[in-house]
Amino acid sequence: MDMRAVLIALLVLAPLIGAVLCTFLRTQAVRSAIVLATGAILVVSAAFLVPLTPFKLSLASVFGLDLHRIVQVADFILLLIILYYGFKHRHLAIIALGLFQVAMLVTLEFFLVSGPTVYERVNCDQLSLMMVLIISIVGSIICYQAIPYMREHEHHYQVAPSRQPRFFFVMLLFLGAMNGLVLFNDLTVIYFFFEVTTLCSFLLIGHDRTTIATQNALRALWMNSAGGAAFILGILAVYRETGTLELQNILLPGLAGSGIYLLALALLCVAAFIKSAQFPFQSWLLGAMVAPTPVSALLHSSTMVKVGIYLVLRLAPGFAGTFLSQSVAVFGAFSFLAGAALAVGQSNGKKVLAYSTISNLGLIFACAGINTAESMIAAMLLLMFHAVIKALLFLSVGAIEQRIASRDIEDMRGLYAVMPVTALITVTGVVMMIMPPFGVLLSKWMAMEAAARNLYVIIMIALASALTVMYWARWAGTLMSDPFAGRFRPERQPVLTWLALGPLCAGGAALSVFAPWLYMGLIQPVLSGSYTASYILKAGVLENAYGAFAILPMCAVALLGLVVAVVALKRAFKSRIVPAYMSGLQTGQPFFFQGPMNQPVKAEARNYYLDSIFGEKRLTDWVNLGGGILLTLILGGAL
Amino acid sequence: MTRTAILIACGLIAGPILGGLVSGMDRILTARMQSRIGPPLLQPFYDVAKLLFKESLVVNVWQVFCAYCYIAASSIALVLFFLQSDLLLILFVQAVGAVMLVVGALSSTSPYSHIGAHRELLQILSYEPLLVLVVVGFYLETGSFKLTSIYAWREPLLLKLPFLFIVLGYVLTIKLRKSPFDLSTCHHAHQELVKGLLTDYSGPFLALTEIAHWFEVILLLGICSLFWATNWFGMAILLVATYFLEVLVDNITSRMNWRWMLSYVWGVGLTLSLVNLIWLHQG
Amino acid sequence: MQAVKRFINRMRSKSPWLLHFDCGSCNGCDIEILACLTPVYDVERFGIINVGNPFHADVLLVSGTVNHRNKKVLTNLHAQMPSPKLVVAIGACGLSGGIFREAYNVVGGIHKVLPVDVYVPGCPPKPEAIIDGVVLGLQKLQRLHEQPSVEKEA
Ligand code: SF4
Repeated sequence: MDMRAVLIALLVLAPLIGAVLCTFLRTQAVRSAIVLATGAILVVSAAFLVPLTPFKLSLASVFGLDLHRIVQVADFILLLIILYYGFKHRHLAIIALGLFQVAMLVTLEFFLVSGPTVYERVNCDQLSLMMVLIISIVGSIICYQAIPYMREHEHHYQVAPSRQPRFFFVMLLFLGAMNGLVLFNDLTVIYFFFEVTTLCSFLLIGHDRTTIATQNALRALWMNSAGGAAFILGILAVYRETGTLELQNILLPGLAGSGIYLLALALLCVAAFIKSAQFPFQSWLLGAMVAPTPVSALLHSSTMVKVGIYLVLRLAPGFAGTFLSQSVAVFGAFSFLAGAALAVGQSNGKKVLAYSTISNLGLIFACAGINTAESMIAAMLLLMFHAVIKALLFLSVGAIEQRIASRDIEDMRGLYAVMPVTALITVTGVVMMIMPPFGVLLSKWMAMEAAARNLYVIIMIALASALTVMYWARWAGTLMSDPFAGRFRPERQPVLTWLALGPLCAGGAALSVFAPWLYMGLIQPVLSGSYTASYILKAGVLENAYGAFAILPMCAVALLGLVVAVVALKRAFKSRIVPAYMSGLQTGQPFFFQGPMNQPVKAEARNYYLDSIFGEKRLTDWVNLGGGILLTLILGGAL
Repeated sequence: MTRTAILIACGLIAGPILGGLVSGMDRILTARMQSRIGPPLLQPFYDVAKLLFKESLVVNVWQVFCAYCYIAASSIALVLFFLQSDLLLILFVQAVGAVMLVVGALSSTSPYSHIGAHRELLQILSYEPLLVLVVVGFYLETGSFKLTSIYAWREPLLLKLPFLFIVLGYVLTIKLRKSPFDLSTCHHAHQELVKGLLTDYSGPFLALTEIAHWFEVILLLGICSLFWATNWFGMAILLVATYFLEVLVDNITSRMNWRWMLSYVWGVGLTLSLVNLIWLHQG
Repeated sequence: MQAVKRFINRMRSKSPWLLHFDCGSCNGCDIEILACLTPVYDVERFGIINVGNPFHADVLLVSGTVNHRNKKVLTNLHAQMPSPKLVVAIGACGLSGGIFREAYNVVGGIHKVLPVDVYVPGCPPKPEAIIDGVVLGLQKLQRLHEQPSVEKEA
């Protein structure tokens, strides 16, 4: 058998098998072993995939069964499951959307598509590879951390009997589905996996079975079903126009003029926006934060929401130079701005992360909409860095939450005194989000330079990146707000937690250093078909006609600066340590001053959340309105 | 190679020396405007030298780390400027310094530091987008973000970017911590702020932040100088006039609150930049 | 080495930053201290700045008497000043308790809680006297440093 087919089968099916095993073998130790083994298989397979890329494969049958038939059947079963949940919770929107999708699917499969054609069903190029690597490596790491997390979680909420088998079933299933989604080239298969991720998200959000969790899960389900409906409608339209269901082939040049074709792409884009929770669909992602934190890390920041990005990046060459492209750029930039503004108004750590995810995804969409080589490079780099670092931040918040029983940033004040290592890792994550020489900033820089000719986009990006700096810096400072705690004493955490946080943190930094090679190896080849890539790599400096980002020199200088600062830090331990200034009334305790009757009084200085400007209550309606208008513009303009 | 080394050295030396002199000049000018004589020109150097040799007193060791990061970032930014690097890159590096200073202040437990730090964040929020837009203006006119090309441009950019120069003026006022934008730390707000952002930095670490600030000032003046880069004379006049205006504004206005700052600076700044950028776009 | 030391000392005497603490004075002395900072006297000529923050200050100007309530504050502020530092007691009250000396809550002059370097008498002292006091203090500081044993915080 072909090595490539084996790898693909492993990447998609191994998690499925692991998932099924998890449901049947219900002891903790075995389950942990299964999760670890599945993760290891995924990582190794993904690694083996690297030298083989790019390739195409016409995977007509699996174990003698026609792949197309399998997917067809599975598709209907899946929709039936969704309909079941719709009826169970008496949710009209889910039922209606489910029935609509069934109808469309029937139309597509039985009336439109004529006869089985031989496709290249699998298309593994560097973009797919990038996604597979993210899913397999970051995904596995998150699943590892989920093992201790869920044990603690169930212990804390006193869940009995354990619902962990179901939890890990869905988590692993999800990994397989994601791998399938990015590896296959056949739109019906992609649609199938798209729906699987929707279902997984629904099941995981509702995992805790509280009223609020069920409610939010249902909201996620109906919104994403709407996305599914847009997706299948888009597929229908695409098939009518191009007569093919291959993602690669629908992007043939010369089609861009036709109205229906653009509308089809616009519909697929809308499906992508819903999946990526762009405004005005953000509410499902925010609701999803009730789920256990590994879920938020895996689905709602580093992988599932990237599906939307993946789709739009794939489709972008198809609408280059059209009004659709322009409006996607404005829409994305708007999301970037709105997400950042809303994040400023939040003191709930997980909500800040959620908004910042929406915001960063918006920037990636904006880059895809700008649709030049530079902007696409920015988009892909950002995709990668964001996945790693956001996963890190989510997991850190999860670990913090389990220790201090709060996810509010105000409660994390002085966290460094309680859990120094986690606090430091979180701060490093924050630094990697906003500072050079790290990758997120590198891609933001590329995005800015690419967007500079697009006035509305660049103004929104400029405002949004300042807001971004504000909410991250505030958080980092709050974590370090701490009296001198004497010797550095690392806190105790489960080994698997360290094994998750450490590699993600180191990986984020390493990726930044290797950004030039990532660009040469992964991104340039993807773009070379449709764009003329313009950066040249010279001594670690990415340079084009109008800009130069000195990645390696910056890394070296930053390292030097860091060493100096750390030496200074070490020496600072020897200085005289005094309490902070409290108008001369300081007591021995930090934050307390000596008040009337010699009683200690706590000095409160909370962070500025600028609620009157950036509060959720104040902004949400306006932001939804703006998002809605832009979305109408996208659909209408495509016509 | 030697050229690069010389430029790096220039950046590292010019920052503290020019920055200190500008600061000394500033103090004399301010004193004269208040009908005083004012300190000697070299006073800022005396201050910094004194601070450097004081006992090191620490509130939170991470504050020391942040102070070093601040000076590292701002000196690197200036060196990059001398190396004629990418202007956006320079802005980002400069922003690192500003953010680290804030993180340092937040890492103390004093409420005064916290208020100052948050106000500083709001200041960053106010000026950062405008600074980016100024750079975008350079790009739209000259077609490049690289300083080499911008300095080589054939005519003074001020003629094409007059409004953006005014916008840069706002940025400069905030960055130099001049009234009406001296919210986060200044010598005159003892009652409300003590020393705000810098309250808990002391001795040598305060000296570091001061030197880092000089680097920043020189960097910003360098960006100002881009507006008249065709000859030295024009550049000098522009810089002197701009700085004089800054001191004047400092002395005739009073400190305002952050709400006003944010709405005013964003309102006026964004409008002016938009108008100017649209001109360039159409032109 | 000697040259460096001399240089540092010169710098110190050229930039004394003040922290003014009103330790229960009648406000007479405080007004005179603030008068020093007005354009009429323009102490910035000598590099003197009123910083109002112990972390930045070199000279602690104390006016008024020490009482049981505020002696803790006074020592706290002094502890937060990085060495080398000076304490200048201003006015009759700062010297000995002045007219408040006999009050039940009064500890006495500043020297009861802090090592005072310079006493500036008067009720209140004139601004010139205060400036003179600071200058005297700086001379003392220089003398201290020319001797090998450097004043250290206990
Ligand atoms: S010395 Fe005189 S002026 Fe000064 S505080 Fe005492 S009573 Fe008031």
